[in-house]
Amino acid sequence: MLEIKNLHARIVDDGTEIIRGLNLTVKAGEVAAIMGPNGSGKSTLSYILAGREDYEVTEGDILYNGQSILEMDPAERATSGIFLAFQYPMEIPGVATMEFLKVAMNEQRKARGEEPLKIPEFLKRVKDAAASLNMDMAMLKRPLNVGFSGGEKKRAEILQMKLLEPKLCVLDETDSGLDIDALKIVSDGVNALRAPDRAFLVITHYQRLLEHIVPDSVHVLYKGQVIKSGDKSLALDLEANGYAGVIGEAA
Amino acid sequence: MNMHTQPQRTPAETALIDAFGDRLSLLPGDGAVMLKRDDAIEAIKHGLPTRRIESWHYTDLRRLLNVVPDFDPAAAAKAIAPIVDGSTVLTLLNGVSSAKAPVVEGVSVQRLFEKLTDGSIAPGLDPYGSDDAIGALNTAFVADGYFVDIADGVELEKPIELQNLQAGGQTHVRLPVRVGAGAKAVIVERQAGEGAALTSSVCQLVLGEGAEVTWLIVQEQPETATHLAQFKAHIGKNAKLTLFVMNAGGRLVRQEIMVKTTGEGADFKLRGINLLAGDTHTDVTMVLDHAVPHTASTEVIRNVVTGKARGVFQGRINVHQYAQKTNAKMACNTLLLSDDGEFSTKPELEIFADDVVCGHGATVTEIDHDHLFYLMARGVDEKSARGLLVKAFVAEVIEELDDEAIVEALEARLDDWFVTHG
Amino acid sequence: MPAVQDTIDRVRKIDVDQYKYGFQTEIAVDKAPKGLSEDIIRFISAKKDEPSWMLDWRLEAYRRWLALEEPTWARVNYPKIDFQDIYYYAAPKSTPGPTSLSDVDPEILKVYEKLGIPLKEQEILAGVQKTDASELEEVSDNVYKSGRVAVDAVFDSVSVVTTFKKELAQAGVIFCSISEAIREHPELVQKYLGSVVPTSDNFYATLNSAVFTDGSFVFVPKGVRCPMELSTYFRMNEKNTGQFERTLIIAEEGAYVSYLEGCTAPQRDENQLHAAVVELVALDDAEIKYSTVQNWYPGDADGKGGIYNFVTKRGDCRGDRSKISWTQVETGSAITWKYPSCILRGDDSSGEFYSIAVSNGYQQVDSGTKMIHLGKNTSSRIISKGIAAGFSQNTYRGQVSAHRKATNARNFTNCDSLLIGDQCGAHTVPYMEAKNSTAQFEHEATTSKISEDQKFYVMQRGIPEEEAIALIVNGFVKDVIQQLPMEFAVEAQKLIGISLEGSVG
Repeated sequence: MLEIKNLHARIVDDGTEIIRGLNLTVKAGEVAAIMGPNGSGKSTLSYILAGREDYEVTEGDILYNGQSILEMDPAERATSGIFLAFQYPMEIPGVATMEFLKVAMNEQRKARGEEPLKIPEFLKRVKDAAASLNMDMAMLKRPLNVGFSGGEKKRAEILQMKLLEPKLCVLDETDSGLDIDALKIVSDGVNALRAPDRAFLVITHYQRLLEHIVPDSVHVLYKGQVIKSGDKSLALDLEANGYAGVIGEAA
Repeated sequence: MNMHTQPQRTPAETALIDAFGDRLSLLPGDGAVMLKRDDAIEAIKHGLPTRRIESWHYTDLRRLLNVVPDFDPAAAAKAIAPIVDGSTVLTLLNGVSSAKAPVVEGVSVQRLFEKLTDGSIAPGLDPYGSDDAIGALNTAFVADGYFVDIADGVELEKPIELQNLQAGGQTHVRLPVRVGAGAKAVIVERQAGEGAALTSSVCQLVLGEGAEVTWLIVQEQPETATHLAQFKAHIGKNAKLTLFVMNAGGRLVRQEIMVKTTGEGADFKLRGINLLAGDTHTDVTMVLDHAVPHTASTEVIRNVVTGKARGVFQGRINVHQYAQKTNAKMACNTLLLSDDGEFSTKPELEIFADDVVCGHGATVTEIDHDHLFYLMARGVDEKSARGLLVKAFVAEVIEELDDEAIVEALEARLDDWFVTHG
Repeated sequence: MPAVQDTIDRVRKIDVDQYKYGFQTEIAVDKAPKGLSEDIIRFISAKKDEPSWMLDWRLEAYRRWLALEEPTWARVNYPKIDFQDIYYYAAPKSTPGPTSLSDVDPEILKVYEKLGIPLKEQEILAGVQKTDASELEEVSDNVYKSGRVAVDAVFDSVSVVTTFKKELAQAGVIFCSISEAIREHPELVQKYLGSVVPTSDNFYATLNSAVFTDGSFVFVPKGVRCPMELSTYFRMNEKNTGQFERTLIIAEEGAYVSYLEGCTAPQRDENQLHAAVVELVALDDAEIKYSTVQNWYPGDADGKGGIYNFVTKRGDCRGDRSKISWTQVETGSAITWKYPSCILRGDDSSGEFYSIAVSNGYQQVDSGTKMIHLGKNTSSRIISKGIAAGFSQNTYRGQVSAHRKATNARNFTNCDSLLIGDQCGAHTVPYMEAKNSTAQFEHEATTSKISEDQKFYVMQRGIPEEEAIALIVNGFVKDVIQQLPMEFAVEAQKLIGISLEGSVG
């Protein structure tokens, strides 16, 4: 589903190279965990997948279902099924969350050649999804992410993911800032979405999240490259021995 | 014959024009300087600005400047103690520089009348714009001042205090100061004296790359004096200027501040307190140009108005089209303590670049009743409680300056004012 | 614009370049010769069968105007206007009192059709006279689900129709054209006209006083809550005409009225002049809510053509506890010079100003308000949202002043500006003047651009760039949109989207 080949990318503003020859393949139905120390390029990778203009790909390619996505803008990537759950979701004052969900869902439908959702059907879907994530409908009447706590923002991200039904879900440090109960709810939400035609890229610093969302593969990112890949036991190994060992091996 | 009818000249306008004729032979300057003086007096002949000139909207100089004293060669001002002990003091007594300027390593000091005589400062005498009445008045009459040059890399341990002291009559001085690359200095500009003088004072500061300057303007003219002042600065690449202005005197005061960031990474901070009392008029007008990308500024002005005092703060932040990534914030807070007092604020933003974060806030309030009640509930009588709160309101701005000696010196000036007016 | 949910959508389908209302209507027109003189003023006054006091009032204003100079303090630039090159009177020729749609000039009906106004409403607009009250009821029910709106339509210089007059009359409300009011209610007009904006007020207001041709008149008597929204729809149609409407709204003690004003004009190469005067008077405990959606033709992509909009709007909170609220959505005009103001004369009176000003292309906006606190315990609130795109210049200019006797005056001002693109300018020029120690003024202003982070976030959910910007902008202006009557709110949001089209990339 996702194939990243020898990717090199840098920050447009100052030319700093962040991703330096990254290779990664994720199959449909797979949950791949990306781990790595701070500054290894994890968040950058998620932004590049979603098409943020602050980064420039200088070499290599990203294939999604066999097609290069480098020329697509963020909205096109999103409607093709790529979803990014942000580490720090943006606050958008004045825009009601419900209104935003409706516009976003209908853009997805438009891309698939479907009619816009009827209001009752839309409401039903949102209510069901919100209930499954233990979210209060009152929260969704507030402006998008404005005044939401850290945990509420993360839940709202998963709610959007549920409603937009993407094919490739990129979760950027979704566990940061969550207490154990919230982590459980969010993980359950993600697990419920696991499907043979859907892949996940779970970016995290800690093994904790991977106890709840059990990965099929684990990849260690360091200095913009995948330096080691393995199964879920690699995550446990990292938890027990830290990154130093793996980094030493690669050096 | 010009058919245009000249508007009736005010006595002040007439007095200035006549004085120029009388003084002309005494004023230093080569041909170039004299041409600038001619242009300047022409501008005054067109009339002093009225409230119809936007930048003078709240200070109708034509109406307010109703008395112009004669030049008084007999006036004898005396030097005063610097606000920070051990400062290097350069005095201007009734507009005249001293022949015995103290020597500081890395600092060159020249008497300005020499530079007027040889014409080397002529280009600096151009007015700021068509409404630059203070610049014109000063250019027409300026006779002396100091030119101070702090060499590259020099870090001064003690402040330099420029004392402009008057004892009546008229004084017109100019203080060009250059601070070299990487140099550091604290400069105090004292404006004080006694008598019903008319003073014009123009400072021109240029900061080289990476220079850091704290400049304090302490204006404590008597309530009979007219004080028209200008402070102009260019802030170079990565240079930092902190300007502190304290107005605590004068009958008619206008302090103009024109600052331009000329190099990326330039940083400007303005902190001001206006302590206004009696039947006086005080105007602080700032024009700040963010002319290059990646520069920052903050301005905080606090005003206390008592008696029949009228106060004005105009602050305009211009962000030029290519000055992307500008960060500018301005706040003006006023405590209006008297029903006969007034305060007018005009904080302006003129923004031509889109990638900026700019804002301003302004408030006019009375003393917070909750705070007052709290203090009184702790047994402080009302008068003292009010005094404490008002002082705290302005002292906050002083305390932000992170130089202990300066903070102490300014707080002492503040105490003095409250003893007299509180 | 009279408020119709799908008006914008329908109009968008009509291919008329960027400006969606830019079609011209061929209607037979009755015009005065070009230029301005005492004779022209006599002509206008005679055309309208005015009493002599009205003519004298106009002539006095005209004589004052001759001595005035055009103001230059606003941040707008335009070539000098030749006031002798304008038609000061143009009226559509139409037989009075049509009884069915077939009697109405078909060209006028075409305008309504292009604007997507439903047939029933077209009937109302066109003034088809319904004699039976029950029939009226039925018509109105079809028009709006959320409420009924009485409409006064002004084409070029004259009011063509006013709807719901009878029903309003039952409640004691007078809603008619100002010309009719001058004839039918001279005592009210004489008492209030020019009492808020005197004939000598400013250059454009004085010009308006001399030459105004029509506009709306509203009188809500003591204790009456106007049973429906009142609306005026202005459209400038004829070439080189000036539109000088005059609106006068009076709410007596305890009365309430909500009034909506909408404007459009066809696309033209040359500039057209619009100089209106609006006066509001609120007596004790009265409340007037005045909403505007201004969408005059802004000029083409190169800044050619467009309306010069020089408007004087002022409300006088004459009575104690009275309240006047201005809400405006300004998306049109080449030049906007407009400061809807409140004079807070009565004790405990309050004034509000909510504004959205959107500028794109080469538009220049200089708009804001004045809140003049005179009475005791008066309060005012200003929320202004400016959005500049393209090559436009957008200025907020506002004055808040508390006079010596205005104890406990309160003001809160918030003005935020948003810049889209690096060729436009946003400017904020507030004047705060406090002459009373018990005054409390609070002012805050910010200028920024749409954050890249926000835009990226919204686009990551599949929303294309232009829509993402419209969504964020609509969030930015939410506080003001909420102040509009619901039908207007929907329309205003869409208008903002339309006027920002092409501002990206």
